[in-house]
Amino acid sequence: MPQASLPNRWNLPDLGLGVGLRTQHFGHITERWPAMDWFEILSENFIDTEGRPLYFLDQIAERYPIVMHGVCLSVGSTDPVDFKFLDKLAALAKRVKAVWLGDHICWTGVAGLNGHDLYPVPYTEEGLRHMVSRVRTIQDYLERPLVLENPSTYLTFASSSMPEEEFIARLAVEADCALLLDVNNVYVTCRNHDLDPVAYLDVMPYEHVVQVHLAGHTDNGTHCIDTHDGRVIDEVWKLYARVHQKTGGRATLLEWDANVPKFSVLQQEVGKAAKFRNGAMLARPVAA
Amino acid sequence: MSLRDAPRLETIERWMQAVVMHPEGAAAGVVAKPARRLLPQAAAKLENVVLPSKSLTSLERLNIYAYMYYARLLEILTNEYPTTRQVLGDKVFERVCRRFVQRNPSKHRTLNLLSEKFPAFLGRSLPPGNRRSLAVDVARIERAMEDVFDAPRADALAAAEFAAIGADEWHRVRLRVNPALVLLKLRFPANDYMNATRAGARPRMPRRRATFAIVYRRDFKVFRRDQAPGQFKLLTALARGQTLAQAVRSSVSGHGNADRLAATLGAWFREWATAGIFCGIERAGAGRRGR
Repeated sequence: MPQASLPNRWNLPDLGLGVGLRTQHFGHITERWPAMDWFEILSENFIDTEGRPLYFLDQIAERYPIVMHGVCLSVGSTDPVDFKFLDKLAALAKRVKAVWLGDHICWTGVAGLNGHDLYPVPYTEEGLRHMVSRVRTIQDYLERPLVLENPSTYLTFASSSMPEEEFIARLAVEADCALLLDVNNVYVTCRNHDLDPVAYLDVMPYEHVVQVHLAGHTDNGTHCIDTHDGRVIDEVWKLYARVHQKTGGRATLLEWDANVPKFSVLQQEVGKAAKFRNGAMLARPVAA
Repeated sequence: MSLRDAPRLETIERWMQAVVMHPEGAAAGVVAKPARRLLPQAAAKLENVVLPSKSLTSLERLNIYAYMYYARLLEILTNEYPTTRQVLGDKVFERVCRRFVQRNPSKHRTLNLLSEKFPAFLGRSLPPGNRRSLAVDVARIERAMEDVFDAPRADALAAAEFAAIGADEWHRVRLRVNPALVLLKLRFPANDYMNATRAGARPRMPRRRATFAIVYRRDFKVFRRDQAPGQFKLLTALARGQTLAQAVRSSVSGHGNADRLAATLGAWFREWATAGIFCGIERAGAGRRGR
């Protein structure tokens, strides 16, 4: 049985069940206005463009709550903070009335370059101090908490002096930022580093967790890759159940980015989370 | 590893980036000069910097990132340049894409501009010949399609607003062109070639012949079409900010008698109005009028 709801530090709402907004579904969504509690957008897909994606997003944001989730904020990078990019994020957040915005606990490039991937930092005191300082700077500039996600990682630096989960928990508390707990990433990371995912989850400061991600991955036997190309496996659902027990309910989102199926398949897959959430089903949007 | 021996965060990041972006993979990247200069202990023994897991070596773990770096960016180029790929063939296209990514690593947070220099790069890096020229032409069209897809919005000028421009105003009227418009002077009938390949055909190498194309966006859809030489010249002059009178004088003199010229201009402007090519009128001595 779920515990009584544990509020998060900012009283950010439990938005219910959502999916990542993908171009393949723009037409379906704006013609049918299907049942879905909220959508998460990939922030960078709507920045530096005034084309079709933004045209659809404007309509969708009129009817559904929108959360912004990025991949290039690079909070772990040792390059200077890119305030121009923060301005663009803030403008988009204002435009779509984003309930919150976030990114990943990682770096994506250094020396002015961008690898467009989520690279791990060494989990050291130096790395923690650096990231805490940057997250605080960004939060002060944006005047809102950042919601940061634990990444899927594929290597461990020999210089790391603490486990990933401890680094993330301390980052959340010391930077006073919010967490997006991706339970698929927890599973993938723990498989790749021979760790216990339940022990990982038990270290999280749940009053900082405001959102949960679910996704599929590819199991290569020797390691797992976070491919977002299929259904959520049973082991990940078990981790989700554990997070729900700890929190009593957090905004939950299904990511499906490759081999993207029909929208109804996404509804069905994310709808499975309802059984952990007292049976609460997807709601139809209300016209603005 | 003692705290004193641990590499600084900045050094680790620069090292990892140098390794994963190395065009020959992580093994070559670790021992290459840029990475070796940053972390010589990794070149001596990689486990000094990256730990193995129970099932993967340190190098195999790094290679996951190195593989994904090129795979992701090559996938983007493949999606953006499908017809260029067809012109060059899969092998040549992949080779040139790898070289492009290696020499033009992304400096932007979004991927929209990743390939902005790709057509020019093809022109410099492929062996000279007709195939290179066609590939560059096609790549310029495909890049223009990306540019107009993302270009700023502007409402098109209505046909009635054109009609309201009196002949006596031509010397002081300038037309503002839609920001989602790219004009391309090409060496081959590349637009026709693209139409054929995108319809599923495998056309032969076309004969070299100068063509003039426009790529534009209307109602959030991207279009491309050929223009007659005089039509293209006139549109280019208008896009450069010439008045209607200047543009017509410099572009279409020698188009026969006045009646024929008027009919031709009427047809061109109707075509452009339907395509939403213009988005504002500026009258010298008056305020800007746009929408």
